[in-house]
Amino acid sequence: MNKSTSIFSKYPIPIFSLVVLSFPFWFEYIGGYPGLDTKILIWALMALGFDILLGFTGYLSFGHAIFFGVSAYATGLMLKHFSPEIIPAMFIAVIVGTIMAFAVGYLTMKRSGIYFSILTLAFGEMLNSAALSTLQDITGGDNGLTIPDVKPVLFGIRMDGLSMYFLAAAILILGYYLARRIATSPFGLILKAIKSNQERLEYTGIDVQKYKLGGFVISAIYASIAGSLMVIYEPYVATEYLHWSTSGELVIMSVMGGVGTLVGPMIGAAFMLYFENVLSVPLGEEWLLVLGIIFMAIVIFLPGGFMEGLARIKKRYFNKSNKEEK
Amino acid sequence: MSDTNGNSFFSVKDVHAYYGESYIVQGISFDLNEGEIVALLGRNGAGKTTTLKTIARALDPKLKQGEIYLAGQNLHDMKTHEAAQAGVQLVPEDRRIIPGLTVEENLIIAQVAPNIGWEIDRIYEHFPKLAERRKQEATSMSGGEQQMLAVARALARDVKLLLLDEPYEGLAPVIVHEIESILQEVKKLGITTIIVEQNAVAALKLADSALILDTGKIVFKGTAKEVLDNKELREEYLAI
Repeated sequence: MNKSTSIFSKYPIPIFSLVVLSFPFWFEYIGGYPGLDTKILIWALMALGFDILLGFTGYLSFGHAIFFGVSAYATGLMLKHFSPEIIPAMFIAVIVGTIMAFAVGYLTMKRSGIYFSILTLAFGEMLNSAALSTLQDITGGDNGLTIPDVKPVLFGIRMDGLSMYFLAAAILILGYYLARRIATSPFGLILKAIKSNQERLEYTGIDVQKYKLGGFVISAIYASIAGSLMVIYEPYVATEYLHWSTSGELVIMSVMGGVGTLVGPMIGAAFMLYFENVLSVPLGEEWLLVLGIIFMAIVIFLPGGFMEGLARIKKRYFNKSNKEEK
Repeated sequence: MSDTNGNSFFSVKDVHAYYGESYIVQGISFDLNEGEIVALLGRNGAGKTTTLKTIARALDPKLKQGEIYLAGQNLHDMKTHEAAQAGVQLVPEDRRIIPGLTVEENLIIAQVAPNIGWEIDRIYEHFPKLAERRKQEATSMSGGEQQMLAVARALARDVKLLLLDEPYEGLAPVIVHEIESILQEVKKLGITTIIVEQNAVAALKLADSALILDTGKIVFKGTAKEVLDNKELREEYLAI
């Protein structure tokens, strides 16, 4: 463990890429099945982006389903009515998600703490109910948006199975690389400083509001790309994509994995999906109960999530400082 | 200190500031020449820190009336970050070190917004202690070192008006000495400075002139020497 984590802090991108790219070839030996791996990457991408907001700035959004969902609908509509080619669909989806992020972020980021969380939740619920009622002619209402007989392609190559997996993998690796770059850039430092003290930042001439909005929009763009990929992977828009429970799951993944560590929330996402889809089979109907107990145990005993668990194991058995971790 | 009609480098005109309903700064006016160092003195609760925060355009206290000009720019219409970009640098009592960031990261952040002062390398030349600790988490340093970093951060920006709030507070006498010599160095740079300090004697050593505040009003304006020579004044307002 010590060895692998210290190697990881030395070569994070190559090792991360290696794990992600080899994943579908060993996943089945631990009970996984084709398709679930792709879904894990998509959720990991969203959790990664979410960490740029929650982990860096400390702003807990309960409305990230907005960007995932809106982008999913946009992608679905593009694939259905425009072309099965995914580039225009993703492009439009991300634009729509970004515009949404500016609007929601501008209105909610002026508040902090619980008020911010509640505002984002309220926005999410508004959009969700709009999609199910007012806009049901476009969104398909309670049935979700069905996209019959459309097979998404990238430059004519059918996006399914492994090709879909590697598309998601390439985007996730790029996303991870960029997130790390952001973390060490002055922009990232400012986001982290926002978490500890906004007033002090103002005294150094920084327009905090602008940077907060920037962090929010970047994290929403990750969610938009994830939402778009989800519909390309499975050409159907489920109503739950826009539902608050999607936002809630994202929060749970982040907390379980380790907020502010970038890798942690991705591990959290993988764990959640693995649990929901693989471990739930032997556990039967009680699986949600077990998941709840695990979640509570983590919050109580390991507030830093899986990443803190790894750091503790490393410290106990190898007695080495875990300072350069993260 | 010049009380001429508004052509000073820095001037405060009939400023009134409130914390919520509490009326703290009750109409103060003064002017500073470029490069002048003034000690802002008075008892606890006289409104010294509130005056500094008002000048730095903090969100709280609220400036309800009055005008503040720095080098021709009107600070009274600005927000906190705009005032900082205009050249106001507040080194507050709590030293404004940002937790979770290293010494170097604290300096980097100070140079994101315009306008930039000293390059980081130049800061390290002047403050070799900070260079040694560049990778250390800033809040894990001693109080004196944090104060040093706070002053260095102000110099990292294009500072036109330096506001020092109790720079010696909570520091051991030896460290006070060290910070004093740093501030003497800063004085040589010719930066216009307002220093608030409980330790009036230490502040007056540094200052050219002095202002004494009492319950939100200025009760004395003069040179530093006049305060030191006037026993009654010292006893009435400063208890020294």
